[in-house]
Amino acid sequence: MNPHTVKTYGEELDQLSAEVILMGGLAEAQVADAVEAVARRDVALAQSVIQRDQRLDELEKDIERKAIRLIALRQPMASDLRKTVSAMKIATSLERTGDLAKNIAKRSLVISESEPMSGLTRSIERMGKLVSSRLRDVLDAYKGSKLDIAQAVWSSDTEVDEHYNAMFRELLTYMMGDPRTISACTHVLFMAKNLERIGDHATNMAEHIHYEVTGEDYMNERPKLTTMEP
Amino acid sequence: MPDYKPPAKHYVPLGAILAFAGLIIMAAIPDFQPYTAWASLILVAYGLISCYSRLQTYLEVQAAKPAQEIRVKVQPEGPSFQEVLRAMPDPVLVVSGLEPDDIAGRWVVFANKAAMKLFRMEREGGLLVSYIRNPELLEAVDEALFGNVSRSTLFDETGGAQDRFWQSWTSPLPVEGTGKRLALMVMRDETDVRRIERMRADFLANASHELRTPLASLSGFIDTLRGHAKDDEGARDKFLSIMAAQADRMGRLINDLLSLSRIEMNEHVPPTGEADIPLAVKDVVDSLTILAQEKGVAISVTAPKPGLFPVIGDRDQILQVVQNLTDNALKYAPEGSVVEIEVLLDQALPQASAPAEGQASRLMLLRPDRQLNDVYTVVRVRDHGPGIRREFLPRLAERFYRVEGQKSGNKLGTGLGLAIVKHIISRHRGGLVVESVASEAQASAEGQKSERVASLPVNEIRTFTAFSAYFPQKSVYGQIPVGPRLLNDDLKHTG
Repeated sequence: MNPHTVKTYGEELDQLSAEVILMGGLAEAQVADAVEAVARRDVALAQSVIQRDQRLDELEKDIERKAIRLIALRQPMASDLRKTVSAMKIATSLERTGDLAKNIAKRSLVISESEPMSGLTRSIERMGKLVSSRLRDVLDAYKGSKLDIAQAVWSSDTEVDEHYNAMFRELLTYMMGDPRTISACTHVLFMAKNLERIGDHATNMAEHIHYEVTGEDYMNERPKLTTMEP
Repeated sequence: MPDYKPPAKHYVPLGAILAFAGLIIMAAIPDFQPYTAWASLILVAYGLISCYSRLQTYLEVQAAKPAQEIRVKVQPEGPSFQEVLRAMPDPVLVVSGLEPDDIAGRWVVFANKAAMKLFRMEREGGLLVSYIRNPELLEAVDEALFGNVSRSTLFDETGGAQDRFWQSWTSPLPVEGTGKRLALMVMRDETDVRRIERMRADFLANASHELRTPLASLSGFIDTLRGHAKDDEGARDKFLSIMAAQADRMGRLINDLLSLSRIEMNEHVPPTGEADIPLAVKDVVDSLTILAQEKGVAISVTAPKPGLFPVIGDRDQILQVVQNLTDNALKYAPEGSVVEIEVLLDQALPQASAPAEGQASRLMLLRPDRQLNDVYTVVRVRDHGPGIRREFLPRLAERFYRVEGQKSGNKLGTGLGLAIVKHIISRHRGGLVVESVASEAQASAEGQKSERVASLPVNEIRTFTAFSAYFPQKSVYGQIPVGPRLLNDDLKHTG
């Protein structure tokens, strides 16, 4: 019998978190590439983002399968159980993140056919950079089980919201100014919304990390911007 | 392992000789005395025991030796190959792997100092994915490990305050025996090359776009002066003064663009010297006194004594930050108001960008790489101008960006001041925060093209705009004696 197919319990757990980190790296790259495709009007890059999304789906399924197998065969307890469950949950969040990135790439294909709107795409780029850094921080927190970083990500989501609200108004002004841009602007609006949701997924992952490390949920409410004028 | 010499090697035959000699004595002596028998027996036993123990240590040393260790010597007496690699300025990694589908089996078995710094590693080894997540790099490593393919990959280290670009070469390393496979990764910093490329494009685009307007107006006036205004004295004087103003503007623009390019070029090289912020504030206030007096604006300074609390930084650049922020504040401060400059020590970064006090909106325009325990010296410049509405805040430090409704103003500016501030602070690994309360009158003017709001009575609502520049301190200063308040009261004019 091949000795490598028999793994110890610890190795299986390590494998699980290694795959989550790998998946995180992939999702990170998807978001960064999708935003770059928007900024540079790069059709080829957008298409490769769309294609690569499948890999994320496969990884998510794989992680889920492995986690269920681990729960079924090894009956993990306490921190091991939390590790398994949070790996599964984070994988789901990452898969959603990848879907949103794919959606941004798809929309970038549409707006690359219309006139360039450098002001708006620059805003998307800036927001994308912010969201990417959030994603990077949360993955760093996951791999090192660093609670303080997770906490920082969790409590600073309003910044992304702020950017989203700013973009919303900017787009409204644009569309009112020139109704011909409405269809392109709507796509840009959805891109901004997608980025904002990626930011939300990052905070969710921060919550899972907190749960994995401490076994407790966050008690207090997350600071939120509620001022959403029509 | 040809150069490996176990320390006990010579004792093994010695033990064997002793044991053999004991046997010979036993066999050779015909009349067997008890004490000779005991002596020879002890000899044999001692010989066997020493043989056994030496052999055991030899085997232990052999077994403890890691199989993948690279132990090629450059010279018999020279430094080991690992030491040479460790001292290299370029990041070097050696990665091992067992099976293609086992990600948890890829380990970093060697990393030099530069690589440890680049990937923020705490140890020289460890799980590969915990340091490198970039999918392209991981793919290149896999190809080297299992496909025997060498190739180069471009990747960027994003997310930090400064982007850096790296080129990585991955190639397989030959290993004999065991199922383990090794791959080598060498990285080289390509940031400068990429930056120069991008900067040239940016500079050309910005310069040509922004210089076109004043240039068009210049050539228009030249045409007029050549044509029908040729002999009109009054018109000539008027046109010439407008042309001079436009030429001034072009000059300022070029200066700003050049200094921005210079700062951007060095943005990824952190400053090394020490700078004194209170002193910089004092210098700036001294130089702007006349301008403030002309505008009827007072400047108030709250700062600790100069010379006691330095930060890490470039003196001239910090001076420029304070200068640009104060210039800006003076531009928007209405007559008779006060521009407040504060220097605060031992400040932490504000956690979230949640709305600050009351209706003020706050946004971090530049966030430094996270280091949660860092403390900063803060320069806060506040003017009581009309304020900036929240939706305009995120774009503030962009080049040539102007808040809507301010474009038509007769402010002397190039639109690069805050961009320069942001890049300088980014180089210093600091942060930039803007806070503002805008008047309600301005907010209600949404939709219709708003006229300048400065003319409205702004005193009823305390509108303000405050920029805070955060510079990292070397250490915490702790108990600070409350600094003297340098109030330039003599500047105060009542409008």
